[in-house]
Amino acid sequence: MRKITLVAGSPGAGKTNWIRQHVSRLDRAAYLNLGSGAVPVDGTYLASELPQLTVLSEEQLALLQEPTFVEYPIYIELGFHLDLKSLVFPVRIGNYCRVAVISPDADASEWHDWADTIVSGANAKVNLAVPHLWRSVLTGEVLDWASLQTFWYELIHGAYGKVRRAKGIFDVADGRSLSFNFVAGLAESDSIELDLPLWSVGRPDRFSGIELVGEQLDERAISETLQDCCLDDAAIAYYQQQIQAFLVEEEEGAR
Amino acid sequence: MKIAVISCIHGNYEALNAVLSDIDTRQVDRIYCLGDLVGYGPQPNEVVAMIRSLDIPTCQGCWDEDIVEGLNACDCSYPSVLAEKRGRLAHEWTNQAIAPEVREYLAQLPVSLRHENLCFVHGSPHNQHEYLLPEMDAFAAMERVLATNADILFCGHTHIPYVRSLDGGQLQIRVQQEGQVPVQSLSFSTPLKRIVNAGSVGEPRHGRPNATYVIYDTDSDRVTLREVEYDYHKTCAAIIERGLPPIFAWRLARGLEFAERADDPTHICER
Repeated sequence: MRKITLVAGSPGAGKTNWIRQHVSRLDRAAYLNLGSGAVPVDGTYLASELPQLTVLSEEQLALLQEPTFVEYPIYIELGFHLDLKSLVFPVRIGNYCRVAVISPDADASEWHDWADTIVSGANAKVNLAVPHLWRSVLTGEVLDWASLQTFWYELIHGAYGKVRRAKGIFDVADGRSLSFNFVAGLAESDSIELDLPLWSVGRPDRFSGIELVGEQLDERAISETLQDCCLDDAAIAYYQQQIQAFLVEEEEGAR
Repeated sequence: MKIAVISCIHGNYEALNAVLSDIDTRQVDRIYCLGDLVGYGPQPNEVVAMIRSLDIPTCQGCWDEDIVEGLNACDCSYPSVLAEKRGRLAHEWTNQAIAPEVREYLAQLPVSLRHENLCFVHGSPHNQHEYLLPEMDAFAAMERVLATNADILFCGHTHIPYVRSLDGGQLQIRVQQEGQVPVQSLSFSTPLKRIVNAGSVGEPRHGRPNATYVIYDTDSDRVTLREVEYDYHKTCAAIIERGLPPIFAWRLARGLEFAERADDPTHICER
């Protein structure tokens, strides 16, 4: 019988990571993130890490009723900002179990009341009275790597407001797609290169974007600085010439 | 005789004031300035007025040159597209802000200054934009000092103070003209040479907002690196008040460069 797991919890506690750990033990599964909107950072990351995972968009929720997914274990991640009490699924998804991934020292919350199972997650310090959520799609943009590093450093150290949670996927000049992740209270981690092919022609049409949670976010400055990190068409073409040459060399070396 | 060497003030009047006050307490006989009076900071005219009022011998920095001749930064300077955009913005702001007499003053500054066996430049003896990083090749570093015929080369531009002694240098020159024998050769040992970087008064890059400068005592041949605290909050407030990017204020408070940074000691400026 199909198993549906709803996964909720505070930002940065490790919902996506918990799902990744469980799916990695399976032959196949489906994933959907309710509340990610047009910025599916978590879904894109999981799709690149787990080839056995089918990632659906919010608009594809109805597909879960299709015979194709009858035998699939399904994980539905619920954005922290969703009101769990008034959550109504637009389609009938059947029976499900509720898992809350919560920081160990978190106070009693609606997640505690809602969940069938509580999982102790990362000790994130993302307690916000009125969280400010900001997102931006960057699909089609290619960023200068050194600029992105400067921007990310400034971002997570408070230059643009009090950022408590930040995650992003960016296409950079050398063709790679990189995942950045920051959770206040946890050690800073390096970016991760997603297991995706180097983008070598034109502007990328794969997803890239950023999601921030914090307080007093200076949205305009964030947006402008991100824009300043982006390369123009001429620069992209220049770098892609080198990527193409590299790929040709690699191919010839492999023969 | 005690000589104070200051550099890279970058329109930061509060920092300059604090450094000059500190110099006053050190029984210094003379002050030299290695340029970059303007650029990035909010008070370029005030800084130049102060330098001129004290008649401090000053050589022209890269920013001073760019304001006079137009922006022409080379690949030495910007580590990223973002840094380059910020640099350009700062240049445009400064270009608009400085008074005509300040521009004239910057235009007439010499590229280098000399006092006995001491030479004072902004970047390197070859141009104002070249960084003399502490890890640069020893032979190249020695060449820079030998080119001035001085024993101590004072420089700025990197914004991180240091003293580098170059000793034990052995130079061999072999000349063979085509079709001619024998080869002419000459070898000699170089005497002790030093490069002294004065750091930056107005735009620190050492992780703290404090100003840095150096004092050289000609009698004891001793170099002292000085770090001076000042009310950087006032400079930060002025940055925002005068319409410079707020990120400059944020970076100043953390002792980070506004934009430029050189981190490749093998790079040779080709300007």
